[in-house]
Amino acid sequence: MASRPTVTIIGKDGSPSGATHTMPTVFASPIRPDIVQQVHTGMAKNKRQPYAVSEKAGHQTSAESWGTGRAVARIPRVSGGGTHRAGQAAFGNMCRSGRMFAPTKIWRKWHIKINQGQKRFATASALAASAVPPLLLARGHQISSVPEVPLVIDSAVFEGAAAAKTASAFAILTAVGASTDVLKAKKSKKLRAGKGKLRGRRHRQRRGPLVIYDPEVDGKELVKGFRNMPGVETCSVFALNLLQLAPGGHLGRFIVWTSAAFKALDTIYGTTTKPSELKKDFLLPSNLVSQADLSRLINSSEIQTVLRAPKGGRVTKRASVQKNPLRNKQVMLRFNPYHSTFVKENLGQQKKEAGKPLKTAKGFEGILAED
Amino acid sequence: MAVYASPLVSSDLVWQIVRSNNSYLVKRKEAGGVQLSRDPLNLTNKHSRKYAGFVNDKAIGVVAAEKGGVKVISKKESAAQKPGKTTVESSYHGGKSARKTYKAVANRAAKSGYRPDLREAAVARVSAIRKSQLEPKPTPEKKPRGKKAKKATSEEA
Repeated sequence: MASRPTVTIIGKDGSPSGATHTMPTVFASPIRPDIVQQVHTGMAKNKRQPYAVSEKAGHQTSAESWGTGRAVARIPRVSGGGTHRAGQAAFGNMCRSGRMFAPTKIWRKWHIKINQGQKRFATASALAASAVPPLLLARGHQISSVPEVPLVIDSAVFEGAAAAKTASAFAILTAVGASTDVLKAKKSKKLRAGKGKLRGRRHRQRRGPLVIYDPEVDGKELVKGFRNMPGVETCSVFALNLLQLAPGGHLGRFIVWTSAAFKALDTIYGTTTKPSELKKDFLLPSNLVSQADLSRLINSSEIQTVLRAPKGGRVTKRASVQKNPLRNKQVMLRFNPYHSTFVKENLGQQKKEAGKPLKTAKGFEGILAED
Repeated sequence: MAVYASPLVSSDLVWQIVRSNNSYLVKRKEAGGVQLSRDPLNLTNKHSRKYAGFVNDKAIGVVAAEKGGVKVISKKESAAQKPGKTTVESSYHGGKSARKTYKAVANRAAKSGYRPDLREAAVARVSAIRKSQLEPKPTPEKKPRGKKAKKATSEEA
């Protein structure tokens, strides 16, 4: 990169505060949806509550097989008499009120270990994607009134618990044009289809903006201001979470940064020249290519100069005006060189030789049939 | 203040990321699994690299405006990082003759080398929108056929 790009810091009422900040180096990390998706699926599994069917389910009967010779299947059958249950098959996974196949156990492998390097790569990748407007649009965020991406709000706006109340917090988001995304999330609340309703996942709704702050500078009051806003989440810049940065494994979460949090990124993730202060042995992932624009690569003089000229070229020539060979003799001759003889000798006008075909000689059929 | 446009994130890369799934994409099982797009900057509503307006740096969209007019949206390359200022709108009122509107839209698309490849699609979309805005002709009354026709003629006679 020749010159580090800068980002405007937005002050109160959505107007630029005049201050700018250089783009932290994390935003130049490679965007790798494959890594983000893999880490996301792993991380999403780490908050699961173990569940299992009862250990005893389907086994609370003293069934025994009747053995062979009774003209019934050899499955264990409930002993005794005097009730319909007696003589019914039991235990098997195919039986009514039998045990399920491979009963679930609480010692299933619920959690997935993810390598720390991969987790850090995925976070850096998700952060880089959050600065690309097309990816935000592809996630479905409403950013048409946002002045700039990444959206950085001056920490002075949040000073003195200014966003401790939801109304004032919403006013800040409205000023920077981020409230349309909140309203979209609010309107999107729908009842979930299926059994999930009974399992604590009654509603489904879109995600709105993610507010990332620096707890040391901005304080933690803004969490209270934003927490009742549908779809809006808050996160400390020192504890970023991939599940928030790329919900569903989809890159491009709309992030609202406080300026203090934005400035902290370079110390947290380091730069190309300076290693991270807070993460041990961490270097930002580097890109494999420095120019990702294919058409610029193809049309670059470096590539165009070493290309060979196309061989052959177009061989078949097509007439611009299609000529009718039945009217135009030259065109006809090109199609059919025999045409001149055909015309000269009047072959078209000659009659067919008269007469029927000769009859077969007598006795010929007999010769044919001779064995 | 430099405008942030990273050479690391090109529209080619973005397309590779979003082509399998994005918020505008409509996948249908009908017609062999058509893939359509709800992107306002898509001229044909087809999910394709060429017409994906939100991916490309330069794109044109045509939407219907009030009173039979059309509104043409295009993207400003210099404001790629500023979603509030990315799009430029211009509208052509319905009173303008169709030919003049086509000409204007074609010039917006192709003049000064903006997106000459989108000229035809842009004009086609304007034409389709204008056609849709026409008041439909009243359907003529159905003529009697068959038995009813015979009955009607015999009654007249």
